[in-house]
Amino acid sequence: MSAGGALPAGPAPGAPRREKHTPATALLAFARFVRAELRRRIAALWARRRVRAALLGAGLLLLAFLGTGWDFAAATPQAAPSAAGKPVPREAARLSGERERLQAALARRVPRGPWIVIDQTHNRLRLMRGDETLLEAPCSAGSGMVLKEGARGRVWVFDTPRGRFEVLSKTENPVWKKPDWAFVEEGEPIPKDPADRLEYGSLGEYALYFGNGYMIHGTLYERLLGRPVSHGCIRLGKDPLRQVYRQAPLGTPVYIY
Amino acid sequence: MRAFAAALAVVVALVAAQGAAPEPASDPASGRLRREVAQLRLERELSTGKGFYLRLDAGRGRLALMLQGVTLDDYAAAGLELGVPEVLFLDRRPGSGWDTEAISKGRLDPERQRDRIEVVAPTPAPTGAPPAGGATPAPPPIPKSAEETVSVPSPYRIVFAEGVSLEVRSSGAGRNRSWLRRQADALGLRVSDLGSALGLGTRERVRLRVTLAAEDAAALYRSLPPDVGLIVLGLPPS
Repeated sequence: MSAGGALPAGPAPGAPRREKHTPATALLAFARFVRAELRRRIAALWARRRVRAALLGAGLLLLAFLGTGWDFAAATPQAAPSAAGKPVPREAARLSGERERLQAALARRVPRGPWIVIDQTHNRLRLMRGDETLLEAPCSAGSGMVLKEGARGRVWVFDTPRGRFEVLSKTENPVWKKPDWAFVEEGEPIPKDPADRLEYGSLGEYALYFGNGYMIHGTLYERLLGRPVSHGCIRLGKDPLRQVYRQAPLGTPVYIY
Repeated sequence: MRAFAAALAVVVALVAAQGAAPEPASDPASGRLRREVAQLRLERELSTGKGFYLRLDAGRGRLALMLQGVTLDDYAAAGLELGVPEVLFLDRRPGSGWDTEAISKGRLDPERQRDRIEVVAPTPAPTGAPPAGGATPAPPPIPKSAEETVSVPSPYRIVFAEGVSLEVRSSGAGRNRSWLRRQADALGLRVSDLGSALGLGTRERVRLRVTLAAEDAAALYRSLPPDVGLIVLGLPPS
């Protein structure tokens, strides 16, 4: 065995130190390369005047975008100033009087007796007295359906009207005098004798007429209450109809929205 | 005699002038009252008309649908904000007194769609015979309820003719939408706001943002009558 044939145990003195190649060092080297490359390319781009101008324009546009729109602030209600100990100026006294007069006039707009509100979208009826709700019940308002008559070209739209109405008449065991559309819808000829238009029992026990052919009445189809299925009238269940009939005298305002 | 008449005229003129002299404009109590009275006059005017109107009471935090002074529906407003258009960081404040003027012809944006069912009546059969087509006509389909047919966007706006709009947001809206969808909606709204602030499309000078409970916001959207008016009470002067 010769000692001169043995390999050296470490790097020769003065030779460059070689790093170990691990995945982490490779990744680091790649990141350095990417960073340097990006710097070089950005510097090259920035050197061009057009690019500088475009970037500046884009920045300004972004600023304009951020600074344009709607500026919202919480709306804090106006606080009532305390007038304690202060003399009331004449103008303030006059205005104060007018304010009271106007407030009283507005308060008088609310009916003193019972009143009826109908939400035809959600098919709900409320019977009110002042601010108190006496009754709330599902009802059926107009379906909004369009009926077209083939032969004569007439068109009916089954909407419930909106607005303020009044109970103009009240009837027990009302008889329905069927209009033309009721026959057209069923494919029946329109009778010449008015007596053939009368139908008994289909309007329930009571009807409250509020104008233009519209009524609040009962129905044979209580399972459909809460859905818009009527031809424009307001259909109500048996018990609520009885209560409305008893508590709403002639002249009761009916508000439909 | 002439001197006496002249003196009398001067005294009368002085008394009249004193009676007609307005209070100093700086009196805050009078200013506030004047504003309140102007709003009450406006409200009385609305209550004597035939149109529906919304009454937004900032003091009580309520939004009500009204007709002739009667509250038809009333919603609690969880939050109320007042917005003005801003262009390049500069606010465009509305002129003072915008809330003491009539605000009318409110319409929904986006518009509420209503699909009507159309039925063509069968040809009437001669008396005594069954209707044409043989058997009795099939009953018309039962229309769906408003909840089933009208989907409610959030936010939506009620845009009035005088450049005022009411933005209705529902609390907890968008929880069931995906993150991506919410971002897309937010961007769409931002672009729409940008356009309206720049005066593109409908002219808007004031936007009131009100937050309602989700069911209230939906109920208002579904049942809002056309051409509603608006009265705003209890805001400090702008």
